[in-house]
Amino acid sequence: MPFSKKLAAAIASLMMLSLVSACSSSTNEQATEVSELTVYSGRSEEFIAPFFAQWEASTGIKLNVRYGDSAELSAQILEEGNNSPADLFLSQDAGSLGAISQAGLFTTLSNDVAANIPAEFVATDRHWVGVTGRARVFAYAPDRVKTLPTSVADLTKPIYKNQIGIAPTNASFQAFLTALIENKGSSFAKTWLEGLQANGIKIYLKNSAIVEAIDKGEISIGLVNHYYIWEVSEGLGRAINVKNGFFTPGDLGNLINVSGAGVLKTSAKQKTAQDLINYLTSPAAQQKFVTDTHEYSLIEGATPPAQLPMLDAIGAPAIDLKTLSNIKATQDLLIEVGLL
Amino acid sequence: MLTTSPAPIEQQPVLGVQSRSGWRVVLLAAVGAVAAISMIPFVYLLVRASDKPIDEIIQLLFRQKTLEVLATTASLVMCVVVINLVLGVAIASGLHFVQVPFRRLLVIPTVLPLAIPSYVFTYTWVALVPSFSGFAAAVFILSISTIPYIILATLAGLRSIDGSQIEVARSLGLNPVQTFSRVIFPQIRGHVSAGALLAGLYTMSDFGAVSLLNVETLTVSIQNMYRASYDRSAAAVISFVLIAFSILFVMANESIKGRSTQNQLLKSLSVKTPLIQKAYLKVATVLIIGAFAIVAVIVPFYVLLTRFFSNPVAIDWASLVSATLSTVSVAAFGAFIALVLSAPLGYLLSGAPSRFATVTNKMVIIAHALPGVVVGLALVSIGSKLGGLYQTTFLLAFAYAILFLAKSVTSMSSSLARVPNGVKDVAATLGMNQWAVVKKVIAPIAAPGIGIGTILVFLTAMKELPATLMLRPTGFETLATQIWSSGSINRFNEAAPYALILVLVAAIPTFLISRPDKQEQSFNYENVGGPSERP
Repeated sequence: MPFSKKLAAAIASLMMLSLVSACSSSTNEQATEVSELTVYSGRSEEFIAPFFAQWEASTGIKLNVRYGDSAELSAQILEEGNNSPADLFLSQDAGSLGAISQAGLFTTLSNDVAANIPAEFVATDRHWVGVTGRARVFAYAPDRVKTLPTSVADLTKPIYKNQIGIAPTNASFQAFLTALIENKGSSFAKTWLEGLQANGIKIYLKNSAIVEAIDKGEISIGLVNHYYIWEVSEGLGRAINVKNGFFTPGDLGNLINVSGAGVLKTSAKQKTAQDLINYLTSPAAQQKFVTDTHEYSLIEGATPPAQLPMLDAIGAPAIDLKTLSNIKATQDLLIEVGLL
Repeated sequence: MLTTSPAPIEQQPVLGVQSRSGWRVVLLAAVGAVAAISMIPFVYLLVRASDKPIDEIIQLLFRQKTLEVLATTASLVMCVVVINLVLGVAIASGLHFVQVPFRRLLVIPTVLPLAIPSYVFTYTWVALVPSFSGFAAAVFILSISTIPYIILATLAGLRSIDGSQIEVARSLGLNPVQTFSRVIFPQIRGHVSAGALLAGLYTMSDFGAVSLLNVETLTVSIQNMYRASYDRSAAAVISFVLIAFSILFVMANESIKGRSTQNQLLKSLSVKTPLIQKAYLKVATVLIIGAFAIVAVIVPFYVLLTRFFSNPVAIDWASLVSATLSTVSVAAFGAFIALVLSAPLGYLLSGAPSRFATVTNKMVIIAHALPGVVVGLALVSIGSKLGGLYQTTFLLAFAYAILFLAKSVTSMSSSLARVPNGVKDVAATLGMNQWAVVKKVIAPIAAPGIGIGTILVFLTAMKELPATLMLRPTGFETLATQIWSSGSINRFNEAAPYALILVLVAAIPTFLISRPDKQEQSFNYENVGGPSERP
């Protein structure tokens, strides 16, 4: 049939084309001018696109950005394996980066990449670097919560019955739980989760939904990242009845998470991808994150987002971020108690 | 001419034996290829699930959570299907039998919800009633999303009933209830079961509505495992629970279908069904349809429009237009591929029953219950090895075809079954070759029904999200991905223009399906579960 012939011809020519382009892209990066870079971004377009636009304007290199959920993109990269078209993976959380790193799909970044980011926010094997900081907090309705919790352990107490929301599928919640397991042991973590379940905890898909639920009065307290109260209030276009609270200094509930980036081993444009990381971690871009997205800059001594303490004054627990990317045990526990 | 026993091949000695068996071989090979294609997600799941040690698999399968989620899924499907059966059949019967004003136009609002994705339904209802959440809310949303399937299918069944039978039933003293249960229902069971099947499978594979409403079904579990745990094997194991459940559902559905007693005698001589004039039935029909139109059409449109006009963010017209064009073109491409893929299987199903055709058909139908994320990842896994084909609109369209093949196979086989074998024989006797028979005899009779099936694939593909996110070319935005990127309910205002355009564009083919002047060429889903048994 002529149609099938045409189709076959089309497929063949497509394959030829890809072969040709594969050959050209595998030649020395320095020799050929890089004109495009493919980024898988787990950070939403609304917040990160202005940064990308600025970089495109200053370098003249076009970014092909694939937006998605960090974990879904990470699953996609794992599925693509050595055939991934991605050059750079920008993730909301260390867990997704850790999964790619463990699969051996990230290249080791040279020491001059993101040199101003303190070592505590960089993977020890330099597979990925932190870009921005996110503090875990408890968001709460100030008019309904009279006694503030001082530790995550307080949340299993009867005074908070049916008032707490968590998002167990959310990566930053899982990072926190990983820290809990690493520091207090898995039986403690299990008892804690079961205590929460017995305390009538409500489950949400994501952090923003928790903050919305507090605003609506569905619940009074939720474990979230610090910037969601701005995100929700800006989305609604009005002030909301939700505040951020920190536990006592050193409590695991005050964990600092990072969003971060890594360069794919299979990328033929690693140098350019590292340039993009350098831009995102530059003082100017870091300051832009603080003012525009209300995140923490990771550079030492940087100004915090409005109304929040300095990064080193939060009283964050001393946790090696590397241990947080090892979330298999965490997920098994969540599956075991039935939260996943 | 009786179609009660489809003429076996041997009775058609018209073509040379060689050419006929050659044609048969090509047909079987094509069906084999389609079977192989629809196997892709299953093979992928099998490979992924086998990464997990057997004891972990067993533990995962029999933990309390899995059973709870299965129970939630089963109750949700039951509730939606029962509501569908009662309301859908009632609305369709009202439209068909009762003399109501603007009878033909009233069909439109009952079908229009097909244009609205379940997540848009959910967004609009949550926007209106902030506390809208939970199981009952999910039953509500999924029912209004799926009732059009059963209405369309039931109407098609009712239209094929010979009105003279109803006259006879009445003259023999049967009351309306008896007439319905003894004369009408037995003849439309096949259609009703097909609508129920589509509604049930839709409910199983839906992610948008249930996840927004905090109801954990198997599909939500599967998606959560991918999202949250990078544990692709656990997700694959749970996918098999979903597959097992959908097999049970398909089997249960066969019992609704029962032994179809469709009468296909000389349709041209049939008497038009007399319309019922009773006032209370007229009022009831109009009230039910009116209420349905309010919750399923007017409310979503009202909320979308108010959000659209109150949206403080300037509308990005360029991206709106390009997303619309992308959506329409890739969905149309997908519908075209589904049409091509469904042709050989549909043709085989429309003829003499064969085990091969039936099994392939069942597989295609069960694949319809799989969440988009599973089919998406299966194609990522294979597609990324195909070099230049990966993340092209072609592969995305292909994914749509696999996801929604059941819809087009269903309408293909039932439409082809409308072509009487005798006509084909006569054409062949007159010296037409197979190709000419297809073009000049089969196509004119079957084309309208096949067109509707293709439109249904097009419609669903336009609304698809999870597979689109994974397989689209980088930077390629559809209306669904744009709605998704606005993310949460508190930013629904920004998504409103995209949602509104999506619904308006989807309304056009939906309108075509319900077109009052095309009522005779409507759905015929009778063959959805394979060729129906005829007495």
